[in-house]
Amino acid sequence: MPRKSIGAILVVAISTTLSIYAFAETTAEDAAQYRTNVMTSLRGHTGAASMIVRGQVEDGGHLVAHARGLASGASELARLFPAGSNVGESEALPAIWEKPAEFAAAIDKLTNATSVFLAAAESGDKEAIAAAFRDVGGSCRGCHDQFRVAQE
Amino acid sequence: MLVAAVVAAMTSFVWRRNKSLGTGVVTAATLLAAAAAFAQDDLVRRGEYLTAAGGCISCHTMDVAGAVPLAGGRKLETPFGTFISPNITPDKATGIGDWSEEDFLRALWEGESPDGEVYFPAFPYTAYTGASREDLLAIKAYLFSLSPVSQSNLEHDLSWYVSTRLAASAWQMLNFEPGRFEPDAAQSDEWNRGAYLVRHLGHCGECHTPRSSTGVLQADREMAGSVLGEEKIPNITPHPDAGIGRWSKSDIEYFLDAGMLPDGDFAGSSMGDVIDDNTSRLSREDRLAIAAYLMSLPAMADD
Ligand code: HEC
Ligand code: HEC
Ligand code: HEC
Repeated sequence: MPRKSIGAILVVAISTTLSIYAFAETTAEDAAQYRTNVMTSLRGHTGAASMIVRGQVEDGGHLVAHARGLASGASELARLFPAGSNVGESEALPAIWEKPAEFAAAIDKLTNATSVFLAAAESGDKEAIAAAFRDVGGSCRGCHDQFRVAQE
Repeated sequence: MLVAAVVAAMTSFVWRRNKSLGTGVVTAATLLAAAAAFAQDDLVRRGEYLTAAGGCISCHTMDVAGAVPLAGGRKLETPFGTFISPNITPDKATGIGDWSEEDFLRALWEGESPDGEVYFPAFPYTAYTGASREDLLAIKAYLFSLSPVSQSNLEHDLSWYVSTRLAASAWQMLNFEPGRFEPDAAQSDEWNRGAYLVRHLGHCGECHTPRSSTGVLQADREMAGSVLGEEKIPNITPHPDAGIGRWSKSDIEYFLDAGMLPDGDFAGSSMGDVIDDNTSRLSREDRLAIAAYLMSLPAMADD
């Protein structure tokens, strides 16, 4: 076996070990904090996008960027809720782990809504954008209603 | 209503003259009948809009996927026990299909059934008493345009001390003053529209205004926040810290439309039903009117 490929295998082996190692190091607190950070980024995108959708701020091509941010955030949701991560100040309700099918459906809903919104943002069709954005919000709201501690 | 009456009067006028005037007028009569049908359609459409503004669907529809709207059966938990909303589709046996217009007005204005039984204030007739005759009859026309649903009403499950209609009568006698909304001439049309929607049709105070121990809304703390069961209902007066004083008019309008808080978050709560079944179905003008009214309230700190 040529040296180069041995090197490559070693790199893969080491990085695999490292990533397993890194994963093992993720504490419940880290998972909860990471989740909060991703959710906060979603809120940033919806807050910003809403101002463009409502015509308070010029689009300048940035609505698409916020729509992409929402779509990629949505694609990450499934991995944000490892069992046992509702620690500390977490507002995650036990129903997340007790009703996995419903929770997965709530994730799907946002995934679909954000991809429709991204397509609408790319098309520039104002009416489609407004309707799709309302559905994105409805998906956030629907999941929070079932799976997040009620807000004041 | 008025339009329908006028068209009906005109139709009968043409009908009388019809005999002497011949076929040309038959066409006119047919046209007018069509116009009457349009007026009826219009009335029903207006009624549909007002039914949304009245939030009737949230309470009168079961909380399960695929439930038929307005057929009742929704459980409403209160400190006095669990109320189960009745069927208000036009089914004659199990709904309100037999009701006259006067029966309907009496229920929504006075809180009394056609048999003279007094309703519990879990049915917010205390707010609907301010609604106009025209609006309530449009709502009735809409309800009566729906397919009747046969679904029998269930008994409420209440604490012993309120479990009879006598308790409802006593409560009503002590705490209820029927009366229509009177526009305030010193205020703008927008403000008056907002006041009408918030205080009467939209019955926002049922959740957002705190109650006394006997369940009466505290008028001097209108919209200052409340607690219902386990749910804390926020203060929506213009107080900058306790309420929504930092929200712009457009923030309020958009919250009522899409449920988004100004920071981009979306709270899920019983307000979600209000947004889905009521405020998101209103015109932007009506939502702005609601915002204008809320912004005009006295700013109130938390207790
Ligand atoms: C599949 C369910 C689900 C969906 C969809 C969802 N969320 Fe969340 N969100 C949660 C849960 C659960 C929490 C509580 C997490 C915790 O505190 O541990 C939360 C928390 C939040 C928070 C609070 C973060 C903090 O400061 O603690 C924000 C903001 C938020 N979500 C925004 C959004 C937005 C915006 C969307 C839609 C674009 C969205 N979420 C979609 C489940 C969801
Ligand atoms: C907050 C919940 C709530 C809302 C909103 C609400 N209702 Fe009701 N309604 C009830 C309850 C509970 C009763 C039963 C009261 C009782 O038995 O004393 C009731 C009773 C009624 C009745 C009497 C039915 C009968 O068989 O005697 C009618 C009619 C009615 N509602 C119509 C409406 C209309 C129209 C709207 C909207 C404009 C509306 N309701 C909104 C809770 C609600
Ligand atoms: C069934 C009870 C209920 C009714 C009726 C109701 N609300 Fe709410 N409302 C809530 C709850 C619970 C919240 C808090 C959760 C949220 O922000 O979504 C809320 C939040 C709000 C907020 C945001 C306040 C904040 O600080 O987050 C506004 C504005 C509001 N409601 C306006 C209204 C208006 C206007 C009406 C009448 C058309 C109304 N509400 C009727 C329960 C209700």
